[in-house]
Amino acid sequence: MTWRAATRAFLSEPLVHFLIVGGAVFWLLAGRAPDLSERRIVVDKTVVGILAERFYGSFHRLPSPDETDGMIRDYVADQVYYREALRLGLDRGDEVVVRRLRRKLESLSVAEAETAEPSDNQLQALIDHDPARYADDPRTTFEQVYLGADSPAQRAAANTALAALRAGEPVNPQPAPLPARLDRASAAEISGLFGDEFALAVRGLPLGQWRGPLASGLGLHLVRVSARTAPVKPSLAAMRQRVTNDWRAAASARAQSDAYAKMLAGYDVAIELPK
Amino acid sequence: MRKAVMLAAMLVGATTLASGCKLVRQTVTGVTEVDNSVHPERVYWGDTHLHTSNSPDAFGFGNRLDAEAALRFASGEEVTSSTGIRAKLKRPLDFLVITDHSDGFGAIKDLYNAPRSFISDPTVLRWYDMLHTGPKESLQATREVIDAKTHDTLPKALMNPDGAAARLKSNWLQHIATVERYNQPGTFTALLGFEYTLMNGGNNLHRNVIFRDSGNRVSTVLPLASLGTIVPDGLWDYMDAYEARTGGKVLAIPHNSNLSNGEMFMFTDPTGGPMSAEYARRRAAHEPEVEITQIKGDSEAHPFMSANDEFAGYGTAGWDLGNLDNSAQAKPEMHAGSYVREALKRGLLIEQRTGVNPYKFGVIGSTDAHTSLATADDDNYFGKHPGVEPSATRAVDPQNLGSASGRFGWNYLASGYAAVWATSNSREAIFDAMMRKETYATTGPRMTVRFFGGWDFSGADLQGDWVKSGYARGVPMGGTLPPHPASTPGSGAPSFIVSALKDPIDANLDRVQVVKGWVDQAGQAHEKVFDVVWSAMDQRKAIGGKVPPVGDTVDVAKATYTNTIGAPQLTTVWSDPEFNPQQRAFYYARVLMIPTPSWVAFDMLRFHLTLDPSIPLKQQERGYTSAIWYSPV
Repeated sequence: MTWRAATRAFLSEPLVHFLIVGGAVFWLLAGRAPDLSERRIVVDKTVVGILAERFYGSFHRLPSPDETDGMIRDYVADQVYYREALRLGLDRGDEVVVRRLRRKLESLSVAEAETAEPSDNQLQALIDHDPARYADDPRTTFEQVYLGADSPAQRAAANTALAALRAGEPVNPQPAPLPARLDRASAAEISGLFGDEFALAVRGLPLGQWRGPLASGLGLHLVRVSARTAPVKPSLAAMRQRVTNDWRAAASARAQSDAYAKMLAGYDVAIELPK
Repeated sequence: MRKAVMLAAMLVGATTLASGCKLVRQTVTGVTEVDNSVHPERVYWGDTHLHTSNSPDAFGFGNRLDAEAALRFASGEEVTSSTGIRAKLKRPLDFLVITDHSDGFGAIKDLYNAPRSFISDPTVLRWYDMLHTGPKESLQATREVIDAKTHDTLPKALMNPDGAAARLKSNWLQHIATVERYNQPGTFTALLGFEYTLMNGGNNLHRNVIFRDSGNRVSTVLPLASLGTIVPDGLWDYMDAYEARTGGKVLAIPHNSNLSNGEMFMFTDPTGGPMSAEYARRRAAHEPEVEITQIKGDSEAHPFMSANDEFAGYGTAGWDLGNLDNSAQAKPEMHAGSYVREALKRGLLIEQRTGVNPYKFGVIGSTDAHTSLATADDDNYFGKHPGVEPSATRAVDPQNLGSASGRFGWNYLASGYAAVWATSNSREAIFDAMMRKETYATTGPRMTVRFFGGWDFSGADLQGDWVKSGYARGVPMGGTLPPHPASTPGSGAPSFIVSALKDPIDANLDRVQVVKGWVDQAGQAHEKVFDVVWSAMDQRKAIGGKVPPVGDTVDVAKATYTNTIGAPQLTTVWSDPEFNPQQRAFYYARVLMIPTPSWVAFDMLRFHLTLDPSIPLKQQERGYTSAIWYSPV
């Protein structure tokens, strides 16, 4: 059983109170924050039940009477030490305690967000917030002739080759493991093969004409774009998986910062820097 | 283009963690169609070896990023690293395989999050308290866990078979659900897998296990634990059973042979007896690929065996001292079983004796990062684990995996990636390309490399559509030359088309070499490295069979280089001048980049460091193709 599942099991226990005050303040101790003047320690059926359940979680069998007695002794000792330590203020100024409690509270604040399902409205709002991110990448179909490294001599040769291509004559490219034609390539694919600069330059070329030389991270190219799709307005139907992933990835962080913001609002923080 | 439409059902809907954690709710929301080309038209880049916070050591080292963060990062999104640094790849990867350790999958994360009162074992309780004390103590606890795993002394409570089974299943199903949500055929492929962390003492026999299938098949098995075993046979049984029961497919990729003290590529079977044909066949069938380069060093070749190869020994410093945790030193005679080139030679020898080559594998590179961040760029290197994310001291700090001494930060490489010639960006196509070994490895740069072998290639082929000719009249990397056709003109020696293109945003290329290995009539294995095409061939004439160095433009103080030397592309047709049709042989291409600054140089610049002059600050990064084999009829 994971800790979260264990937490849920605890949350369903009648003795375990899950208090939400002002939206998000939690206590998760063996019931409630101890009243430091209370000197009674009660070991009732519910406490024994929880102890037995913990034992089962580790050993997958019920404890024997001796083992139960041992656990009760240990529980009482825990309570005595815990209350005495609080009374002495040992929880204060201990970084390990502070950090551990913070982690616990943070985990609780995101546990629900992790399994929540977003509504269509929430997803649509995410798309509307950043439509460019979800727009269907325009696709470009083009031919390219690779001419090798960029140099003044090669640029001159490129102009001769360009004239030949425009006259409908064949031109021998430099042999390289590059496709002579790309079909419906996305900007990301073009960038991956040639670099960003080239992808940007191809975007500005007119249709149906040999142009160049264009410089890429590989050298010089002559390019003829034959088709380009128009950008499509992003739709939730086409992008659902990705938007849901984005929503979910942000949900935990959002839940945590929301919970923190609400708690922080209840405090007056004064930062006094040394002069 | 053949319109072979592949249906990839995408499973979404997160795991529902009901009490008892046995349910996974999966909803089929869409079907993506991917077109497959007849032959691979482009290379896909990925990492087949990445750890997230589900790996016990990664979590202990401070990794708090889960599979979702890993997938988002690999697909090009910005994430915040475990130590709070904003991290983003300059270019997305095309695919990712998260391979968390099957041993204790999710265990340390669960232990950390468990109420303390659940823990009864005194050792586990001690580790629990160390994990919660601080980063230094957490690191120490993790080293102790690795030592215990290495020497098979992990407390039973940590691995307890009853409680662990339910926990493992819950973690595994949750992992699968996340990976399914990020698998977007055609755009970004997320494959399912795990690492089988097999060891014999500290001798590294680790394998990554990769499934071809979607979550509905893979969720019927749990990742197989390696604890208590020292040979891979149990893994192969598991793979056979999975395939027989589900009709799915699965492969395994050994890694870090360089830390196996000679046990990864043995001449014998694991009992020390002569390897049988049946054993050789089993190994080759289950393990079609080997990870040749990664963060913990490079396993291509070692100067001890390859004394005439001035480029052998890249990324071996520190790693060749001993096994994974350096609990046993490596003796020179062990090296032969630890490096890939030697394994390819041993494969020929075993084939000569038994008729089957156990080591007829292709190669890929991957990161093995334990940060959830698949980085292999020297200027964007996030280290082996969160304890060594960018900082002023990581280059010189001792960075040992167990608690023994031996290796320092600068011994680690910002390496590598897997390049796969697949017919589409999909699980099926990428997996199938690995099965036919049409893959290559790089130490990080995304150079494009084609390599075809045949009997009648000539320079004239380069004037036309030579890729088409390569497939029509030859075999690509990973293939076996067909028998020599009697009617073919020419010298009767095999010829190879090799073409390499620089990474569009990285440095120029120095040279392309063909590495040949063969077995003579006396049963001796040999190797030879041929420079086949290089930049400025007119000026750089070979002297005594060696091409002079390309030069060096690295300005270490600024961590820069210039592309004023080298060439953006190198292509040629090469025919083996020493071919003997009676001799078994393999050929693979090695592509060398011009010298560039290493990640240590970038750290020096970033953190204003003064380092010991013995620490190397530049390197020649490289790519290795899978081999093409020749066997006499």
